Amino acid sequence: MADPGIPITDPALWHRIQFAFTITYHYLFPQLTMGLAWFLVFWKWRALRTGEEKYNQAARFWAKIFGLNFAVGVVTGIPMEFQFGTNWAGFSRYSGSVIGQTLAMEGMFAFFLESAFIGALIWGEKRLGPRNHFLAAVGVATGSWLSGSFILITNSFMQHPVGYAFAPDGTLMLANLRDYLLNPWAVVQFAHNQCAALVTGSFVVAAMGAFYQLRGVYATQAQLYLRAGTLVGLISSLLVAFPTGDSQAKMVGHHQPVTLAAMEGRFQGGRLADITVIGQPNVAEQRLENPIPLPGVLSFLAYGTFQSYVRGLNEFPRETWPDNIELLYYAFHLMITLGTIFILIMAWATWSRWRGRLESNPLLLWVLMLSFPFPYIANSLGWMTAELGRQPWLIYGLLRTKEGYSKVVSSGDTIFTLIGFAGLYFVLGLLFLYLVGREIYHGPDEESGAHHGKEALS
Amino acid sequence: MIPLWYGILAFMLTVYVVLDGRNFGAGMLHWIVARNSAERRQVIAAIGPLWSWHEVWLVGVGGVMIMAFPKLMSAAFSGYYLALILILWGILLRGISIEVGGHIDDQLWQTFWDAVFVFSNGLLAVLFGAAMGNVVRGAPLAKDGSFFLSFFTNFQVRGPVGLLDWYTLSVAVFCVLVLLAHGATYLVMRTEGPVHDRSVALARRLWVAAVPAFAIITVMTWNVRPELLRGLFERPLAWGAMLVAAAAAFALVTGLLGGHERRALAGSSFLLFGVLLSGAATLYPVMLFSTVDPAASLTAAACASPEQSLRLAIWWWAVALILAFAYLVIIQRHYSGKVNVSKDNQGIY
Repeated sequence: MADPGIPITDPALWHRIQFAFTITYHYLFPQLTMGLAWFLVFWKWRALRTGEEKYNQAARFWAKIFGLNFAVGVVTGIPMEFQFGTNWAGFSRYSGSVIGQTLAMEGMFAFFLESAFIGALIWGEKRLGPRNHFLAAVGVATGSWLSGSFILITNSFMQHPVGYAFAPDGTLMLANLRDYLLNPWAVVQFAHNQCAALVTGSFVVAAMGAFYQLRGVYATQAQLYLRAGTLVGLISSLLVAFPTGDSQAKMVGHHQPVTLAAMEGRFQGGRLADITVIGQPNVAEQRLENPIPLPGVLSFLAYGTFQSYVRGLNEFPRETWPDNIELLYYAFHLMITLGTIFILIMAWATWSRWRGRLESNPLLLWVLMLSFPFPYIANSLGWMTAELGRQPWLIYGLLRTKEGYSKVVSSGDTIFTLIGFAGLYFVLGLLFLYLVGREIYHGPDEESGAHHGKEALS
Repeated sequence: MIPLWYGILAFMLTVYVVLDGRNFGAGMLHWIVARNSAERRQVIAAIGPLWSWHEVWLVGVGGVMIMAFPKLMSAAFSGYYLALILILWGILLRGISIEVGGHIDDQLWQTFWDAVFVFSNGLLAVLFGAAMGNVVRGAPLAKDGSFFLSFFTNFQVRGPVGLLDWYTLSVAVFCVLVLLAHGATYLVMRTEGPVHDRSVALARRLWVAAVPAFAIITVMTWNVRPELLRGLFERPLAWGAMLVAAAAAFALVTGLLGGHERRALAGSSFLLFGVLLSGAATLYPVMLFSTVDPAASLTAAACASPEQSLRLAIWWWAVALILAFAYLVIIQRHYSGKVNVSKDNQGIY
């Protein structure tokens, strides 16, 4: 974006920054919701089957954190939908009759389900009884994944539009609902993204276990969190990379070859294309500075053989290049690096568990405790890769980003509201950390019953 | 298909107003009906567990609007940019104040969040009221279908209008009054003890005050958009909705006077429902009236999605609506009756 010649008063820039900021902040919460939801379902199910109180205790403790996380997700999510109209009027006018389908479905199918049962999940254990309380957890988990699927279908349409036709006035209309919903891009992106949410969930659960274990409190609970977190963590970290991440990259290679070239900082095309482990793109001189390459790996990963030809940026017209190649390159490469580290950490933990030393290796526990922020970073980087990689298009090949924003809203209006969002979200973040911190400090309750917080003071 | 989707949008928006309206009303009355900490928890608990279910209707309205009437969404939402962002911030503060207030048993903490709660509900009631006034009065739509609104201009209802003028402000005040009455009626049903008794007294007085206010607003509306009155007489659907409203008003009056609390709330809900739907029927087919050039007004047909998109959407919408009500039936019995704020009942707060 920061090409010389684009003034700071360019409204498109500020609309993009506001949306990027509000969506990135928002998605810090749903990724944990979607990951954690299935841990709750699992513990409620184990409690139902075995009757062991420790599972109920775990579910009760995590439901409190889930509830706070869910609330922040709801209040930061509502602005997202409305910004389609307020900030992206051109986009809404052009494609509303297509993307509106899944946005409306998300509200009607997913949010009604989630918000109906969230209260029952967090406060209804006694009133509902174990069986119905388990079902409430299933309802909330299903709702959160449905919500994710509708948003990913919407995003996939922007990445790889299918199932549409042109209306007489030149705007888009839905031609085939099934094609639109079963967009191959959406299938891959859903698998990749949901595995990534599970990575966040399992790192957070394992970190909590490590925290209690290192402090020497709640030993039973700590063991439960460590074991569930590292097991799911290993499986989901592996699945994020292969086959889902791999398929996602192939999808980009096939449908957005210029994006793949930019993600890899590949200015010249050729066979035996390398992946660079480290390197900095220099867009002005069209080369990669001090690269450490793995020859042929990109050809193999993207197109199946080491000899496959991978096109470089120089083979595409300049105006189709993603408009911030450096940021795209760094986001993509850091995501891959972090993903690899996640696999190593969780493999180490699983190996230690097999040797019976998961709860007793302090170095491992410290690593697990401190690594939970990184899946959040990796998830955000993945989304930066998807969204920056799609540029300069808003809907790939159909609508350019500079045609999609609200022409009547000036950059000053957007800067003003962006600052407002930043301030509100900062306070919201402090509040969230404070309240979650209290719950963590207070720890899992020994007995069921009173509402959280009360018994700490009484 | 277009009238059907217009009806669906009006229906969903009305359900949202009826459901969340009682939260706005109860929220604004918070300090009046509840005088101590225990009483205030009672009010929050009456709203608590389902506020997000209510708010989802607004999300549904947004989704349906972008799907069925994308040109309305893009013109109106960008034109009302600052007002809408303000509404978003109000919704954010309201949700947070409900969620976090009960987390810490500390007087100062709870008083602070109660204040945020009252303020944000009041702000939202005023803004939604003004928004309703704007829907009737229209916006300064240019020929190209775009506009950008100031907060206020010269307080006149024609020409280059702003968000607030004498008419939209009056509607906002009227809305606050009606939502206060609606919220009080809701609290009557859900609470006990002093909160209940104060709510009963307030509900009666507020509904009495709403009658002349309604008459005044009707005369004002006649003055702002004279052609609407004619539309009202020509639309049998609007009469039907008016009949619903009249029957509901009867149920409300007998319910409040006879102590039938459920009937009173049903009456108050269907009264809002009927009045709003008859308004929507009267406004059709214009969705956004132009105050500068009536010919530039956005009609439903002009801002609707292509027929095919609308036809495909009706099927899943119907399924989703049935599911939504099924969930409500399942959970509603856990939240009916008087709220209980004792510490071990696992109710919210």
